[in-house]
Amino acid sequence: MQATLLVCIFTPLIGACLLPLIGQRAPRVRNLFSLLFVLASFLCSASLLPAVLSGSKPLIRLALPLGLSLGFQADALSVFMAMTASLVACVILIYSFGYIKDYDNQNEYYFMAVLFLGAMMGLVYSTSLILLYVFWEISAIACWRLIGFYREELTIVRANKAYVVTVFGALIMLVGFLGIWGQTGTFELTAMQGAHVPAWCVVLILFGILSKSATFPLHSWLPDAGVAPSPVTSLLHAAVLVKIGVYAYARLFAVTFTIDPVFTQIVPIIAAVSALISAGCAMVETDIKRIIAYSTISQLAFILLGVSIGNETGLVGGMLYILAHSVAKGGLFLCAGIVEHNLHTKDINQMGGLYKRFPLTAVAFALCSLSVMGVPPFSGYFAKFLVVQGALTANQPWLAGVFILGAFMTVFYLSRVFFKVFLGPETNHHAHEKSRAMVGSVVFLGVLALVLGVFISLPAELASRIWGVL
Amino acid sequence: MSALAVITQLFLALPLLALVVNNLVPRETMRHTTIGMSAGVATAQLLAAIIGFVLLSASGESSFRFALAWDAAKGLGYFRVDLVTLFLLACVGLVSLIANLTAFTTIDDHRSSFTNLLMVMLLGMNGMLIVRDLFSLYVFMEVTGIASFVMIGMYKSTRDLEGAFKYMVLSMLATIFILTGLSLLFIKAGSLSFDLLRPALFEGVVDAKTLLSWVALVLLVSGYAIKSGVVPFHSWLPDAYESADSAVSIMLSGIVTKIAGVYSMLVLVRLFPGNMALRGTLLVLGLLTIITGALLALQQQSFKRIAAYSSVSQMGYILLGFAADTRLGIIAGLLYLLTHALAKTALFTNAAALEKRLGTLNVNEMGGLQAKMPVTAFSSVAALLSIAGVPPLAGFWSKLLVLIALWSAGLRGVAAAALLLSILSGAYFLRLQKKAFFGKLNPRWNSVVEITGGIQVSELLLSIATIAIGLLFPLVLLYLQHAGLV
Repeated sequence: MQATLLVCIFTPLIGACLLPLIGQRAPRVRNLFSLLFVLASFLCSASLLPAVLSGSKPLIRLALPLGLSLGFQADALSVFMAMTASLVACVILIYSFGYIKDYDNQNEYYFMAVLFLGAMMGLVYSTSLILLYVFWEISAIACWRLIGFYREELTIVRANKAYVVTVFGALIMLVGFLGIWGQTGTFELTAMQGAHVPAWCVVLILFGILSKSATFPLHSWLPDAGVAPSPVTSLLHAAVLVKIGVYAYARLFAVTFTIDPVFTQIVPIIAAVSALISAGCAMVETDIKRIIAYSTISQLAFILLGVSIGNETGLVGGMLYILAHSVAKGGLFLCAGIVEHNLHTKDINQMGGLYKRFPLTAVAFALCSLSVMGVPPFSGYFAKFLVVQGALTANQPWLAGVFILGAFMTVFYLSRVFFKVFLGPETNHHAHEKSRAMVGSVVFLGVLALVLGVFISLPAELASRIWGVL
Repeated sequence: MSALAVITQLFLALPLLALVVNNLVPRETMRHTTIGMSAGVATAQLLAAIIGFVLLSASGESSFRFALAWDAAKGLGYFRVDLVTLFLLACVGLVSLIANLTAFTTIDDHRSSFTNLLMVMLLGMNGMLIVRDLFSLYVFMEVTGIASFVMIGMYKSTRDLEGAFKYMVLSMLATIFILTGLSLLFIKAGSLSFDLLRPALFEGVVDAKTLLSWVALVLLVSGYAIKSGVVPFHSWLPDAYESADSAVSIMLSGIVTKIAGVYSMLVLVRLFPGNMALRGTLLVLGLLTIITGALLALQQQSFKRIAAYSSVSQMGYILLGFAADTRLGIIAGLLYLLTHALAKTALFTNAAALEKRLGTLNVNEMGGLQAKMPVTAFSSVAALLSIAGVPPLAGFWSKLLVLIALWSAGLRGVAAAALLLSILSGAYFLRLQKKAFFGKLNPRWNSVVEITGGIQVSELLLSIATIAIGLLFPLVLLYLQHAGLV
């Protein structure tokens, strides 16, 4: 069991470093291996599932002085996150085979993409605040290189922006960790179960979380990061990066520490504000990737709302939301990538009637949009429903109302994109869906968004275990 | 004679021997072997110091006293090494080795002189690390200093001489401060031996003599601060580093300022534990140095000057570690010194590579060089990330230990400030990468090829060391725990 856990974490981390070496000889083999490494993580996480469901928590621990002990542990929350992230990352990698194949620096791309996922695996399984921080920063480096993939002046500036915002947030968070260390003498989460954390530490850590999960007022780096290649944005938005923030919130404040009840009031309000502002931005943007990016910020705020509301229904809803959003938002970005890759523009005003040229992409985009909007029986619906119910259970009808308003805005701006891009008069007569790998990936994600909705009881079962550990 | 007794002899004997051989054999004959010989001395010192560290650590003794071979037989012991100085002696060996590897490529004329000067410098630093009184410390510091002035001005260009002159003038000032301080301290304490200087010098009734020792302390700290190039005494340092040959810059920034300045500060900290004034001064100097150095690094156009100001800035963290005034703080400061030496040495080897291949160090003229010089680009990323304290690299752990030391010493605000200021290191890292390596290739450099030989070997060696220490740092912690040091 412990071995499986180690394989799950270190296969992508070590494997990523080998990819550039393989790539110098045989690019195709490198692509295959990059997929295998991520798939290994997914399979290993999946194989931990029965044990975790039966209540055991495999733990590997290295005892170190000064409370710096490092360790990895699998529990319901970590396995849930790991499976979601690695599954979506697998699809994104397959998509990349088509998207990235004509560009320079492919070795670095696959290196960083797999390292990124490896950092996510390490982060969700780590039981120490120090390890959490280590993987947090590794993901920031990978993100920096990936956003700057095209090496243009603008992309580098945006990559630097993303790095500065998230790393500065992380440094502030580390001050909070030091505060916790000062009080408990350890960085180990397993030793701090139920410990009360002073409010100032919570605020500092929240700063890091909000910067990573791109929540208002620290959100602006995320839409700007849209200059990256589409599989990268998809990775950032769907599989790895922004979910780190909500995961950290769930891990630290929902599952491990006890915090002042005032935060179950404040954080949902921040989330609600973030949700409405970004939904508003999404309604007026004309760049397809920026619209979807603002949509991510908006949806993430709802995840944060569910996780921070302080009851089981909200938390389970938040978790299912992570799953549903990863799949659907990953799909939306990849669809946008197909369109933008073939049309060489991101402006939705210059698109139109593309359903004829991109029939499968249009279907996949529609399916993913429906899931993000929260239309039954898509997976997004169940997640939304539970989060709303969580807010109502917590006696916060206003927040539930804001949430429903946000959901309506989501319906509006996603429909707007769909109508502008895929319906209406045809504008481009030469473009067509080129790569089978790319189209196959988006169709898979679209169908998955639907299938997960039908079989929602399976992930819900796992998610409901998370609250049980409290 | 124990193994340790033999090893400790090497620290003075090796450089002296190399100096003699280098000057006895005709220059033309030595031309091809002289740098090889000094690299050999450096390697031997590195190994000797590591073996010595292991032996001393295993013996359970806190220090080992020795003397020159003929005096040792008479039972004298006017030198001593302990774990701290053996650690630093290993650092000296390591950085010298890298400087020699770089010098194979960068130094063409004056090879013999380079070796001569490097051996004198090594002698000076080793001397500083093994002596047992403040005056001898000063003498060997001057030996190191004189070798440095000549090395900076070795090629006698206007720029070289300007850098050397600036360093020399400020060093003279340091000399005045230190000598005056030492004499005042001598009046009060009657001795400058480490064994006889006690924190009690500053306690008791405030009379004229106690006042003298306070003045002495102020003068000594100022003198050592000039030597280590911390703010506000930093202005000589970028000029000296920039004008010197890269191999010389590696020595200066990698180790000379750290032994001449920071180690001397450490001596004071270890002599006078619990001295709040000293502690406070180090805190202020440290924070000021971190901020000013990093802000200045953000504005420089020359690769070497960015590295130089970054060096200034990082010195602040070492001082902060010492300012915690606990054993953990000193260990953290020393580890910081090592990880910073690795990273900064790597940056100066990168500068050597860029200067050799491009003929310029102006970062505005570079751009997208990663495509042409992947090894240099990679090693600069690793080095700068380590300096910025980004995990999992070596610099992260040493910074974390400094922070933990500060926090547990009750200096929470300082720890938080020091931590948040590392975003500035991140900022000049990003700026440098954007201008030099990341981004579109500047067409001017289409025919540039990656550096080869000693410089590439050093780059790889240092990057691997930075990454490996970072990944294997838990072992360091386990060792510290095993040795009962934390």
